Amino acid sequence: MDKIQSIFRTVLKHDDLILTENLSANDVQGWDSLSHMLLISEIESALNIKFKLKDLNKMKQVGDLVDIVLSKLS
Amino acid sequence: MLFNSSEFVIFFATLFALYYFIFKEKTKSQNILLLVASYFFYACADWKLLPLLIAATLVYYGLGLAIFKTVGSRRATTLSTLGVVFGIAVLGYFKYTNFFISSFQTLFESLGLHTNWHTFKIIVPIGISFYTFRLLSYVIDISRGKYEPARDLVAFATYVAFFPCILSGPIDRPNTLIPQLQKKRIFDYALATDGLRQILWGMFKKMVIADNCAAMTGIGADYMNCSGSTLLLGTLLYTLQMYADFSGYTDMVIGVGKLLGFQLTKNFACPLFAQNIADYWRKWHISLTSWLTDYVFMPLNIKWRDWGNWGMALSIIITFVLIGSWHGASWTFVIFGLYHGLLYVPLILSGGMFKKTKIETGKWGFPKLKTLAKMLLTFFLVSFGLILFRADSLTQAWNYLGRIFSASLFAIPAISEMQDKLIMSFFIAILLLVDWVNRDKQHGLQMDNIKSSVVKWLIYFSLIVIIWAFGGSQERFIYFQF
Repeated sequence: MDKIQSIFRTVLKHDDLILTENLSANDVQGWDSLSHMLLISEIESALNIKFKLKDLNKMKQVGDLVDIVLSKLS
Repeated sequence: MLFNSSEFVIFFATLFALYYFIFKEKTKSQNILLLVASYFFYACADWKLLPLLIAATLVYYGLGLAIFKTVGSRRATTLSTLGVVFGIAVLGYFKYTNFFISSFQTLFESLGLHTNWHTFKIIVPIGISFYTFRLLSYVIDISRGKYEPARDLVAFATYVAFFPCILSGPIDRPNTLIPQLQKKRIFDYALATDGLRQILWGMFKKMVIADNCAAMTGIGADYMNCSGSTLLLGTLLYTLQMYADFSGYTDMVIGVGKLLGFQLTKNFACPLFAQNIADYWRKWHISLTSWLTDYVFMPLNIKWRDWGNWGMALSIIITFVLIGSWHGASWTFVIFGLYHGLLYVPLILSGGMFKKTKIETGKWGFPKLKTLAKMLLTFFLVSFGLILFRADSLTQAWNYLGRIFSASLFAIPAISEMQDKLIMSFFIAILLLVDWVNRDKQHGLQMDNIKSSVVKWLIYFSLIVIIWAFGGSQERFIYFQF
C-alpha cells in the first residue's frame, strides 16, 4: 500500500495524498483517464506485475486496485 | 422542426402543458408522453426511418438484459461483442457503404483495373451517429459490470430517442439519463428559469452569431475568385460560426431538458479559450470526445502501454481518425481527424499533455499575453483544420489553402459591408466577453452573481431585441448532417 501511495503521489503530483479503500478518481483532482494510465504503468513496473484489460475494468476505487495487486502478488 | 421555429414552440408548449398539468407527478405517464413526443419529433424529420430506431431500441433492450444475466461469462462477452458489431454494421451500412465503394473504385482504377460498381441510393437516418453511440455504450458498460440494465422499456426507449438530443446530441450516457427518467419529476422553478436563460443564450449564439457569420463564410465554390485575405477571414469566422452554431444548439437542447426537469451532459466548456489542442478537445463536443476516450482510446492505450509515449500517440491518432470519420464518409473527415491526432504528438512527447492548463489572468481579469498567444495559436490550428472539415474534396481543401497563402493575402478582405462588419464585431465581442466572464459556469447566462432583477430583465430584454432585430436567416444546424 505504501508503495502504491508513493506512486500515486508522484504521478498525480499530490504530496499529501492519503489513499483509502473508498477513494476513487472523482475524489482526486488530476486523476483522469491519462494519469490513470500512467498510474497503471508505474504500478506494473514497480511491482513487476501485469494487469489484464478485465482487471482494469474492475477498478472503480483504490480498494479494488489493491485487491487486484495483492491477488497478482500472491 | 428546428428549436427556434414556431412549429417547435407549439409542439413544446403542448407537451409542457400535458407533462406538468395532466400527467403531474405520474412518472410512467410522463415517460410515455415523452416517448410519444420523441417519436413524433423524429418522424417529423424522417418518418421512414423511425422503424429502424424502434427496432434498434428493442434489440439493445433485450441484449442489455441478456448480457446482465450472464455478466462476467463468455456468453456475456459474445453478446456484447455482437451488440457492438451490429451497431457498427448498421452505422457503417448507412453512412459508409458508398464511401467504401467509391474509394475502392478509385484505388482499382488508379491501378489500371476497370470496375463496374455502382454506388447505392442510401438515405442516412438523421441522428443515427448519436443514437448508435448511446446504444453501444449501454451494452459495453453492462458487460463491464458498470451498471444494471434498464428493466423499464419505456424509460430505456425514451433515453435512446429523447427528442432534445436525438438529432445532434449531447451523447448522454445511460447512467446519467436513465436514472433521471425513473425519478419523480415535478416542476422546478429555479431549474426551469435557468433552462430558459440557457435557451435564450443559445438563440443568441445560433441566430445572431452563427447565422450572420454564415452569410459571410458561405464562400463555397467561388473561392478561387476571392483574395487570400478574404478566405483567411472566412476561415477564422467559420470557426466562430461553428462554435456558435453547435454550442448554441446544445444550449437550447440542455435548456429544453431543464424545462422538463432533466440535467443533460455538458457538451462545451468555452473551447475558444483552449490553450493547446488537447485542451481544445477537452472543451469541444465533450460528450463525443469522452465517449471515444472511454471506448476506443483507453482500450488501445492499455494494449500499447508498454510502448510508452509512442503507444499513446498511436492510440490518439487512431481515436482522432475515428472522430473525424464519425462526422461523415469522406476523405476530408479522415484527414481532418488525422490532422488533429498529429497535433497531439508534440504535446505527448514534450509532456505538455499531462499538464493541466491553467488560465493566467492579469490585473483586469483578462488573459495574460502568454496565455492569449497560446489561445490564438490554438484558434488558428483549429481554424485550419476546419478547412478540411468544410471542403468537398481534398483537392478543394488544398487549393483553398494555396489560395490563402498567395500574394492576395495582403489585399483588403472583401467580405461584407463596413456597417455589417462593425455590428458583427460588436456581437462577437459580446459572445467572447460573456463566455470569458462565465467560463467556469455551466452556460453564459447562469447569472448567479447578479442579484438585481432589474439588471437581469435588462439583459433578457436586450438579448431578445438583438435576436429579433439582427437574427440572420434561419439556417439549418451544421451538426444535423452527422
